[in-house]
Amino acid sequence: MGFPTELKYSRDHEWVKMLDDTTALIGITDYAQSKLGDLVFVNLPSVGDTVEAGEVACDVESVKAVSDIISPVTGKIAEVNEALNDAPELLNNEPYEAWIMKVEEIADSEELLDAAKYEAFTQEEG
Amino acid sequence: MSSLKRTVLYQAHVDAGATLVDFGGWEMPIQYPDGIVAEHLYCRSRCGIFDVSHMGRIDVKGSDQVAFLQHVLSSNVLALDVNQAQYCIIPDTAGGAVDDAYLYRFVEGQYFLVINAGNIDKDLAHLEKAAAGFDVTLENVSDRYAAIAVQGPEAKKLLMILSGGKTLTTENVKNALGTLTMEGRPVRIAKTGYTGEPIGYELYCDSADARYFWDRLLALGARPMGLGARDTLRMEASLPLYGHEMGECELGGEIPVYAVPLAKFAVSFSEEKGDFIGREPLKKQFEAFKKIMNRDYSSLSELPYRIQPIYLEGRGVLRKGFPVYCRDAWSEGKPIGYVTSGTMIPYYETTGEGLQTVITENTGKRSIGLAYMDSRVCENYNIEIDVRGKRLPALVVGYHIRQDAAPYARPILPNVTVGRALPTPDSYAGKAAELLKKAQENHLWRQTQCINLIPSENTPSRAVRLLCGSDPAFRYAEHKKQKAFYDAEIFYYQGTRFIGEVEQLLAEEMKKYLGCTQVETRVTSGQMSNTAVFSALMDFKNRVDRKRTPQRLGWVMNNHIVRGGHLSAQPMGALHDYIAVDPVTEKQMVVNFPVCADNPYRIDVEATKKLLTQYKPEFIIFGKSMVLHKEPVAEIRRFVDEQGISTTIMYDMAHVLGLVGDHFQKPFEEGAEIVTGSTHKTFFGPQRGVIGVNYREEDLKWGLWEAIQTRAFPGSVSNHHLGTLLGQLMAAYEMNAFKDEYQKAIIENAKSFARSLAAEGLDVAGDPAIGYTETHQVIVKVGYARGPEIADRLEENGIICNYQATPEEEGFTASGALRMGVSEMTRFGFGKEEFARLARLMAECILHGENIKEEVARFRADYTEMHYCFGEAELDDALNTFAQATGI
Repeated sequence: MGFPTELKYSRDHEWVKMLDDTTALIGITDYAQSKLGDLVFVNLPSVGDTVEAGEVACDVESVKAVSDIISPVTGKIAEVNEALNDAPELLNNEPYEAWIMKVEEIADSEELLDAAKYEAFTQEEG
Repeated sequence: MSSLKRTVLYQAHVDAGATLVDFGGWEMPIQYPDGIVAEHLYCRSRCGIFDVSHMGRIDVKGSDQVAFLQHVLSSNVLALDVNQAQYCIIPDTAGGAVDDAYLYRFVEGQYFLVINAGNIDKDLAHLEKAAAGFDVTLENVSDRYAAIAVQGPEAKKLLMILSGGKTLTTENVKNALGTLTMEGRPVRIAKTGYTGEPIGYELYCDSADARYFWDRLLALGARPMGLGARDTLRMEASLPLYGHEMGECELGGEIPVYAVPLAKFAVSFSEEKGDFIGREPLKKQFEAFKKIMNRDYSSLSELPYRIQPIYLEGRGVLRKGFPVYCRDAWSEGKPIGYVTSGTMIPYYETTGEGLQTVITENTGKRSIGLAYMDSRVCENYNIEIDVRGKRLPALVVGYHIRQDAAPYARPILPNVTVGRALPTPDSYAGKAAELLKKAQENHLWRQTQCINLIPSENTPSRAVRLLCGSDPAFRYAEHKKQKAFYDAEIFYYQGTRFIGEVEQLLAEEMKKYLGCTQVETRVTSGQMSNTAVFSALMDFKNRVDRKRTPQRLGWVMNNHIVRGGHLSAQPMGALHDYIAVDPVTEKQMVVNFPVCADNPYRIDVEATKKLLTQYKPEFIIFGKSMVLHKEPVAEIRRFVDEQGISTTIMYDMAHVLGLVGDHFQKPFEEGAEIVTGSTHKTFFGPQRGVIGVNYREEDLKWGLWEAIQTRAFPGSVSNHHLGTLLGQLMAAYEMNAFKDEYQKAIIENAKSFARSLAAEGLDVAGDPAIGYTETHQVIVKVGYARGPEIADRLEENGIICNYQATPEEEGFTASGALRMGVSEMTRFGFGKEEFARLARLMAECILHGENIKEEVARFRADYTEMHYCFGEAELDDALNTFAQATGI
């Protein structure tokens, strides 16, 4: 799992997979899911919503707490991963396969790190 | 992080990779690498261990220890026996809780209070202040002992490996305690827990031994569980957590004690307990609570809100603080309360229904919680919860899990119905024809294809059955002795001459059979016989003062249902409305016969004598429904007479009524005063009851006999089922004619059957030295909780017997044995060889899963002729004539 090199990472522990210049899949990293613990519920955003880089896009719930998912990019939600409704644990088991949302018309993004820099970042966080 | 306190098991948690957090000043594991969801599921399916050493443990010592505890706790400390624990609350003066706690009494003279870790300092300050004026010391012994909770279906199995097979607690019931050694180390065990598991224990050991036991339990297959799973498990069990369901309230002030459902068990207003901190406000809450339970809201202001379990039907997760709404007009659209605890809980899905329920490996999740809501809200109410801005529908439920089907905690989901409609033809003529067809099939199946081993059943002879269906069957013959006519029987109906004579003849035959002076035959079942006797005893007890509410019976000595006692003699059965409550302990005044340590099927006479001296019961009930031995009537009669203990000795012979005689017991000769029985088990009759007494007119208890008769009629019956009464006379003739051969054959066959089963490799209960049994019953152990499945399998193969919980098991769903009787098949001609053949077939089926259905049917087909009845030519003709003439 770890830190796949083909992805980009935000400092809020989301990963970004660019499908083309203005479309990307967004998910949470392995580091994020291990810190959150067993996820039992995902509050998916709605198709057609706009998201802003650095702002809350949706949230996920573990047994103990609710955690915000910060969108790394600005754009419009084209698709959401419905499978997470019945199986939120996919985020724990396959964090890099279980994308949360597909964003199109991407106009802006936060500073994204490559795998090596993100790994170093997680080690600093402790 | 080193300013946080650590338990003696801290390193074990670190070694296991636990995620550690600050919990009330302690560095504790919230979860281990598998995660909370997996931990929760493993506890429910196997066994979880929890480090609970952080909880406070206080030793309460001194000559005023009881008085002090009565003063500071909500519970009745005098109700706590040695080797028992009780849940209690430390109330404050305003009707709220300082903390909830558990009080343990491991040995005489010692009381041990366990309190929540986060409240130790606060509780101690409160208790120390309250101790002024009492000769008592409070020693905080939290450091000396460690505590490990062991919870889940396998908990007992694992702990008994450590105990080397020694039983863990003095009794196998919730809140029982035990002191023993495990692998050479001293431990204290409590059958308590905070997970809702029906099988769960808490182990207290020296701090030095904690890591040893922790590692041993892991090696045996338990998994470590953190505070996260501890919270999800207790929430699923609707158990309160201080800080959520008790203590500070988000609506202001404190949550009143009676808002929590468990309060009604934890609070006592007994006069013996006397005044205690918080008594006044708690009493007001209790009065309001009782009214609210009757939907009387006139005292709502004393208990405006209550905690109840809730189930979220919409998509989301409940969290503490979420407001609750309902649609009732009185709520005026405002919140009616808030969620106190909530989360998403995993559970194992099941298939099948009832005893055929199978726990699958598939899991689901459900969104549940507890909420503090207006007391007008009841179970099954539809409510709405504001889940982070969205209003979602929810349901108020009674519980999320049930503990009454050990060894598993059973998740209960809303809106599940069981059973299905039975298909029948449309027209009533069609339904009638279908019924006859099915009844015929059933009769022939049971009578010609099955081998019937249910010990409480038998088949009556054709003569008995024909008589049962003939005319008096649908008539009335109420009668009562009238003192104005020298106790002559006065009949209230006409057309009763024949049945009047039959009843008189039956009384003579039954007196002769039982060996007693008087019998009452109008009762229509064994349990009714017992109820009539209990009612008569209570009536007789109160005869000299009818101006006040009658006093109930107590102390009563009986066999506990877990050790084979019948339902009748239990407070949950026929004794329900006749048993008194002891004002000091607030518990029912029943004391059970103790059993031998090496043979739980036999009463321990010496231990019984000690209890008789201590309790001086006014009523002793012998008799059991799981029975392998004679009851020690003679020894106990001798003892009570020598000691001058005034008591009434009754023997509910039920199963063994057909064995009265030289081959088993003669109850009246041994000193029983009253015998009740079922006429349809080992006795040849149709389903009825009988009461025999040995009182004479000059005895003080002659009045009791008169009360027994009036509690039979008009107390228990108006119509006393004249058809079976007529059949019963024929059966009494059969018994008196054939009893010697029959009883001898029963006892021999039972022992022979038991020996054959043992020889086939089955685990037969009882003492092999005496042939395992002294009655018609044989008990075979088939493995913990496997009884229902094996009994089902045998039924599929044509062998009918009962699944049975032995004294070590927690209830019928955990039944690990089969209970069988030889009477019916003996009557159909089975002897030693036949029972040996049957034993072999049963072993094939039970041990090897073989299909023996065809062979069983062929076997039974050769044994359909009834023995021990008047079967010779002259009676056969008479029977055929009777059948033809009456058209039955």
